[in-house]
Amino acid sequence: MQRIPGCVSLMLSVCLWAGTVGASDSSLTIWWAQWPPAAGLQELSKDFTAETGIDVQVHQIAWPAYQDQVFLEYGNKTTAFDIVVGDSQWIGRGASKGLYLELTDWIGDAVDLAQIHPLAQRYLMEYPTGSGRIFAAPCETDALGFVYRRDWFEDATEQAAFQAKYGRALATPDTWTEFRDLAEFFHRPQDKRYGAALLSGRGYDSITMGFQPFLWAFGGSWGDRDSFAVRGHLDSPGATAGLKFMIDLLEFTAPGGTNADYSGVLDAFTNGSTAMALNYFPFYPGIVEGMGDQAGFFVVPGHEGTRAISLGGQGFSISTKVAESQQLLAKRFIAWFQQQSVQQKWITYPGAFTANTALLQSAAFREAYPFNATFAQSLDYLRDFWNVPVYNELLAANSRVLGEALDGSKTPQEALERLAVEHEMILRGAGLGQ
Amino acid sequence: MKVGFVAPVLVLLLCVNIFPLCYSIWLSFTNADLVGVDLQSVGVLNYSFLFSDPRYAEALRTTALFVVGSVSVELVLGYGLALSLRDRFRGKAVLLTLLLIPMMMPPAVMGVYWKLILDGSYGILNQLLAAVGIGQPQWTTDPDLKLLSLLLIDVWMWTPFMLLISLASLNAIPSYIYEAAAIDRASRWRVFRRITLPMSAPLVGLAVLLRATDALKQFDLVMAVTGANDGATQTLSALLYQVMFRDGKVGMASAYSYVVLILVIALASVFLRYLTQLQRRAGAA
Repeated sequence: MQRIPGCVSLMLSVCLWAGTVGASDSSLTIWWAQWPPAAGLQELSKDFTAETGIDVQVHQIAWPAYQDQVFLEYGNKTTAFDIVVGDSQWIGRGASKGLYLELTDWIGDAVDLAQIHPLAQRYLMEYPTGSGRIFAAPCETDALGFVYRRDWFEDATEQAAFQAKYGRALATPDTWTEFRDLAEFFHRPQDKRYGAALLSGRGYDSITMGFQPFLWAFGGSWGDRDSFAVRGHLDSPGATAGLKFMIDLLEFTAPGGTNADYSGVLDAFTNGSTAMALNYFPFYPGIVEGMGDQAGFFVVPGHEGTRAISLGGQGFSISTKVAESQQLLAKRFIAWFQQQSVQQKWITYPGAFTANTALLQSAAFREAYPFNATFAQSLDYLRDFWNVPVYNELLAANSRVLGEALDGSKTPQEALERLAVEHEMILRGAGLGQ
Repeated sequence: MKVGFVAPVLVLLLCVNIFPLCYSIWLSFTNADLVGVDLQSVGVLNYSFLFSDPRYAEALRTTALFVVGSVSVELVLGYGLALSLRDRFRGKAVLLTLLLIPMMMPPAVMGVYWKLILDGSYGILNQLLAAVGIGQPQWTTDPDLKLLSLLLIDVWMWTPFMLLISLASLNAIPSYIYEAAAIDRASRWRVFRRITLPMSAPLVGLAVLLRATDALKQFDLVMAVTGANDGATQTLSALLYQVMFRDGKVGMASAYSYVVLILVIALASVFLRYLTQLQRRAGAA
């Protein structure tokens, strides 16, 4: 028998030892998109590991590839993740295709549901919406909100000029009409200054999330959530007026503002050229860090007494394609995360938001970051897109058809009529509605 | 013994080519989903849906425009450059090497670079245009310019390929034919029309066929510059990606891809027949 050289033997031993030490007896893998809250979750989970000995790994995947990678992974017999932090729209697909573990019977005993904001319960946890059947627990509760150039708004010369032109004080807007005036006032392309940056990109859900506040505020909707009827809702005069208003506002954006996704909107604001920008709150810590007091925040405006804001955020869902023992560990982590004390620490991480109503109302939360009070105000107006299994086809249709309206190749009326027909076809094709 | 030598390759071909081809035919008649639940036969439903899907017709039109636009411009530019570079001159090798660089680059990486170059606000192209007082076209967001931008990038990348093949075909024409034409006092235009063009046509035609089949599959640039779901630039491959990976409809995507495959085969057959005729004519001449 040949002898294994001493150095090789030593290396093998070290490798084996390192492998044993590196791998904890029990560990959890969570998949989430690559952004500040995910880094916060990784940090926070160290407390869970310290308490339980269960190692937690948060794998961050770049946003553009996140959805594709998660559902490709679900194509396997087992998933590499135990918990996926899935977008609110995914829940229908996850629940109806048997990918998300149903939590209905378990969650009532493990988590204090009374502490969770009712709209977060409705849109982030349930499928079908309002059915009481739960497939996720809130992780990141999110909303759209505006960031604005506070220094421009507080400039005495600007204030006098605005007062002279519009007959009222220069202040953050409460209605879309006021918003339009502000965008028009600050729009000075000759000085490379622009009025607003809105979500209008054609990838994933950017244009949908950007259009929704206009759709709902002007009296339209995506359709009837019980009958899945779309015509008469999405192509209603209110919806058309909302889309027309949004398109008119794009006149006050920077070049290329008719096709700006989340990063495009952020760039437009952080490069110092734009007065007001619409985006999700977890993107704002970076702005505060870079611009400090120059940036302020306000709630998405309304129209004639109606205000509605696109919900964002993701919930924890447990994969059905992992062993039962892993599912139990995942439940343990979710229950731990929802505790008041843990939520209290969670909201201290940049971009981490909670659905915990008591915390949302607390001074500690509202004062932790400059945008937190605006975020807490926004939650009561949240609404969401369809979360049915064919959500992605609906989003894709929106990007194409609404995009044509924004590009001017279809009128708002033509676009919404076309979109209503396409949405009904997609929903009927999935067996939803008559 | 002979079979033993060939068997590994045959097995490999069966596994990576033939089996997926046959398996996807079967999938195209099912409701196969990316997350793989309740696989059922749906007959020809996927194919009938395909022909009523406006996205498919639109993607077909966009792809046709892209193929015709890119290949014809690349052919004219590449052949023109080859004609001007066929003679020997100092620095020819260096110039040729420089001209060939774009086609050596990975298309996806080039797509990302060009997206930055063409950016409406901070792209270097618009900065240059502004410096000379020309307007600021929104290359990647204006619906009338998006496809044009993709064409521009593709032409930049693949004209060198046409140049290379054209140059090879021109250099393959025996010099004694030109000498005979010179003795006959044939005009330059006549020499080009009667000798250069017909004798270089078969090889250049092959390059056109290769480029056309490649352009028919255009995906990398679309993904990198405008994304898979932009109506103005959604090629057939981008639509396939959308249906397969975003919508998760594996059965439907298989049906879509088979129709694309049949189209490519049909086009290639027609073109190959034409090339054979060209070669016969060139041989007869």
